[in-house]
Amino acid sequence: MAYAANAVTPDRQRAELVALSAPAVAFTLAMIAFPVVYTVWLGFHAFSSTGTQSFVGLGNYSKLVADNEFWHGLWVTLALYVLSLVLQLLLGTWLALLLFHAKRLPGVVRSLFISPFMMPPVVAGLMWLVILDPSIGAANYILQRMGLPPSDWLASPIWVIPTVAMIDTWQWAPYVALIILGGLQSLPPSVYEAAQIDGASAFKTFRRITLPLLLPTIVTATILRSVDLLRFFDIIYITTQGGPGNASNTLNIYGFRVGFEFFNIGYASALMLTLTAIVFGVVLAFNRLRGAVAW
Amino acid sequence: MSGNKFATRVAVTIVALAAVSSAAGAADFDWKKFQGKTVTFLANNNPVSQALLTYKGDFEKLTGMTLKVDGYQEQQMRQRLVTVMNAHSDEVDVFMTLPSREGQQFAAAGWYGDLSAMAKDEAAKDYDYAGLSQALLKAGTFNGKLTSMPMNIEGPIFYYRTDIFKKCGVDKPATIKDVEAAAQKIKACDPTITPFVSRGLKPALAYTFSNMLHNIGGSYMANGKSNLCSPQSKEALDTYSRLLRDYGPPGVVNYSFQQISALYRTGRAAMSFESSNELRTVMEGGERLKDTGLAPFPAGEAGQVPTAIGWGMAVSAYSKQQDAAWYFVQWATSPEIQKRMAVQGIAPPRPAVANDPEYRKWIDEEPVRKQWQAALDVLATKGSSEVGYPIVANPESRDFIGQAVQDLVLKQKTVDQACADADKGLDALIAQK
Repeated sequence: MAYAANAVTPDRQRAELVALSAPAVAFTLAMIAFPVVYTVWLGFHAFSSTGTQSFVGLGNYSKLVADNEFWHGLWVTLALYVLSLVLQLLLGTWLALLLFHAKRLPGVVRSLFISPFMMPPVVAGLMWLVILDPSIGAANYILQRMGLPPSDWLASPIWVIPTVAMIDTWQWAPYVALIILGGLQSLPPSVYEAAQIDGASAFKTFRRITLPLLLPTIVTATILRSVDLLRFFDIIYITTQGGPGNASNTLNIYGFRVGFEFFNIGYASALMLTLTAIVFGVVLAFNRLRGAVAW
Repeated sequence: MSGNKFATRVAVTIVALAAVSSAAGAADFDWKKFQGKTVTFLANNNPVSQALLTYKGDFEKLTGMTLKVDGYQEQQMRQRLVTVMNAHSDEVDVFMTLPSREGQQFAAAGWYGDLSAMAKDEAAKDYDYAGLSQALLKAGTFNGKLTSMPMNIEGPIFYYRTDIFKKCGVDKPATIKDVEAAAQKIKACDPTITPFVSRGLKPALAYTFSNMLHNIGGSYMANGKSNLCSPQSKEALDTYSRLLRDYGPPGVVNYSFQQISALYRTGRAAMSFESSNELRTVMEGGERLKDTGLAPFPAGEAGQVPTAIGWGMAVSAYSKQQDAAWYFVQWATSPEIQKRMAVQGIAPPRPAVANDPEYRKWIDEEPVRKQWQAALDVLATKGSSEVGYPIVANPESRDFIGQAVQDLVLKQKTVDQACADADKGLDALIAQK
């Protein structure tokens, strides 16, 4: 009888669980919610250069629609996003296949292949800044040794986006490769045995079996890279600060400068919330795609 | 009492009185008044603060206070300051500031504590307030309120290679036109050398461009409007961008002080127009010590109007211990500390320190240091602290100036288009309150 009286009922157990986890959940929610709510609040206010604030409702958002710099920043962001993503997926997939098939590759070589993404972006940015310096950098020296004309790289309004995309691809393609390698290792061997028995060529096996089966993994890598690429900041801030002119002025760089250099926190908040909405939209779209290609 | 004893007593009394009166300056001031307190200093991690913080221990020993240093790179320091000040937080007591850039903005926002009374009434006798550069004190005064104390004096100066000039038969330029002629000769004489280098990076170039603008006789504003399309301002835009485009290194639009100093120090540039603060960096390794000449930037139609600015130390308006914070500020900007910083290559904002025997000895060790000091003397006497537009939104105005110059360097616009576009944006900025 005493045992029955002390027994913990499921309801009580649930209540205890809720009570015990509530502080942690509330803290986490507050940590997420407070900055978001505060940024939304800031986005409804205008801050003058002297720091005085006034409620403007959607004023910052209508300003944004009429702001050429915003549209230019959006274009730069999307151009950089598409170019970098395509390059990273292609190179990442190729690298993953190489690592997957080269069974005898020493561990050191494998580690070297995937090491760039472990490098802090500041270090990577500074390193490439030196390499790509048109006067004293190694890149132009190599081009000239090959009989090719030197390039202005990051100082050219035309080449700056491809150059930044190249730096980011150098750093993040190995990360994509690592994700895809995981996907490759989990593919069922029976499908390949069947293809081999049917006499399918290597290319056909890749196109008809490997690629379709890898699609969910590739979409996962796409989502992870999309979040980073749409918020592109560090490498650009270190190498060009948005220049030359405005040629590499992404939305994130533009928002940062508006907020922290020109002290217009309200408009910067509106810019950043718009960017967040874009990131959110792209992630949702790819999430749906992942559901469609799942097997 | 014997005569000898009396004479001895008189002598001792005189000596004691003399000793007391000579020590009065230090004794009058109670450096230990805020013993046990902690002052937080938000510092820009540049050579000025690095030199100052070498003596951090001395301050703590003298006052019994603890100095907590919160150091960042320049832009990150401002980022932190904006966050702290917008929250009206008392986390920061003292911060570094560039009055020429953000002075009007921070003053209008009410972020600076008023140092006027403290500088005059609560300073040690040997502080010598009057000995500080009056031009820099004026630059840090807004609406009659002294907002910061000068830490150094700096400005862009002209570095040139005497050996290359000799080899190519070029004389030291006396005018801006001579600079261009020298660049042309050097380009023909030695194509492996970059004839001229200065700032091309959009947000950074107003610092050097302003000097050229003022030398040529241009101005940023006239009658409350942007004045970049005046004949003199257009000439300044054209000349500055032409020098960079035709005689500068490839990729000059991404050049700020780091790239410029690296190029010059490694012997790949014949002329460099960069900050006086870069002397130490440029002379690192000693390769340029014997073949460099220094001078203020050559004159234009309006003569020499060099840019002279300085970092300042401000007390936060939200600090709850402004009096203790002021103790740190006055210690850091005192003649003694500024003398010690000067021999580390930080140009003192006190003319008297420049005449100090110890400092003179350091200056006299190398001819290039003498030229550096001579250039700084010109900056101190003739300098203008106008870098960018004299408006609250000064940092943003620098972007428009930078854009106009870059458009010309990259040949994306004509001078008329570039200045008109900049004026349009700048007029809108000026109209903002």
